[in-house]
Amino acid sequence: MTSVSDIENMIVRTGIGDRKAFSLLYVATSSKLFGVCLRVLNNRAEAEDALQDVYVKIWQKADRYSANGYSPMTWLITIARNQAIDRLRARKAPVKNIDDVVDLADSGPTPETAAIQRSERAQIDGCLNELDVVHADAVRGAYLNGDSYQELADSAGVPINTMRTWLRRSLGKLKECLGR
Amino acid sequence: MSQNDDHKPDDIALIGEYALHLLDADERRVVDQRLLAEPALRALLRDWDEGFVPLADEFDEVAPPSTLKAQIEAQLFADTKLASLWSRLFAWNAAWVAVAAVVVAFVGVQLFTDTNAPTYVAEIVAEDRGLVVQARFDPKTANLDISRVIGSISSGRSHELWLIIPESKAVVSLGVMPVTQQGVMVVPKQYRAQMIGGTLAISDEPLGGSPTGVATGAILAIGGVVLL
Repeated sequence: MTSVSDIENMIVRTGIGDRKAFSLLYVATSSKLFGVCLRVLNNRAEAEDALQDVYVKIWQKADRYSANGYSPMTWLITIARNQAIDRLRARKAPVKNIDDVVDLADSGPTPETAAIQRSERAQIDGCLNELDVVHADAVRGAYLNGDSYQELADSAGVPINTMRTWLRRSLGKLKECLGR
Repeated sequence: MSQNDDHKPDDIALIGEYALHLLDADERRVVDQRLLAEPALRALLRDWDEGFVPLADEFDEVAPPSTLKAQIEAQLFADTKLASLWSRLFAWNAAWVAVAAVVVAFVGVQLFTDTNAPTYVAEIVAEDRGLVVQARFDPKTANLDISRVIGSISSGRSHELWLIIPESKAVVSLGVMPVTQQGVMVVPKQYRAQMIGGTLAISDEPLGGSPTGVATGAILAIGGVVLL
């Protein structure tokens, strides 16, 4: 299992044009980032295209990684998520391909990483639990599925402006809670 | 985490929406502009991204097709030989990607007709041929005649000429290029032997050339030195 500092090191070395590091970074992280693309796009071919764009971006942006203060996986996941949602939004008609069968990779976090992840997960879950359940579901839907305001509004059966008001208010509360 | 009172409540929600990717394209562009100019907003975005990321453990890991890695590398590193050289020499500068596909082309240089001694020439060209510089090197005098046949130097900037020595892959400055279309540069003594078979490159630099002794700006054009 590759450690967080290994991944950080690979990103920094990628940023100075080290292709070997880029190759190692791909091996270490592509399953996670492909999982992000697949979840958002729910279509294997599109997710593959998105993943290709993601790693091109990673190669291009890695030289600016050190300056931005992100933890390495957050930085990578954020790039992947944004790329996948950009592609999702660019679709003319929604494609839902639930039948796509995907193979789960047999890798997971180390016990220590898992413990840290659990505690961080507990924090965001705790904060989401302080929100009205409909609002919390909207935040989750936006983050995990890349749902748009329209989709969130449709799911909740409310007008889009109502959803927007709810969500903006929820974000204020969420930020306050996460900062505690 | 930044304290909430560092930021306007509107911005907290706005950047949260941005992080969730809920803004439409126009709204997103406005935030992109602000992010460039406002470090505090970038810190707020980072806090949001870090705050949300524990949710990402719900993204199951799925191995991508084994062919994808090669496709990505092919896209990024189209011209392997040249690109690896550039990544070594200008490693900090992603601009080399733009010129990696440049074909090191030698075109008959009618300009230089006096060939009573071995003479070496190079055509240093940009990928889009927006800059074409012909160079002629006379090993006896060490003069490098320069003729910029296409392109111009941006105002307030300089073009600097670099020699890439194949054996050592060292890159050395041959100096700032003439501002005029035609001019002569003199190759320093220690590099004269290396000119033959070397590669010349032009980079965009601050007025007067790179302040650091290594290329700091975009690589504009490259070309190999060949026997005429």
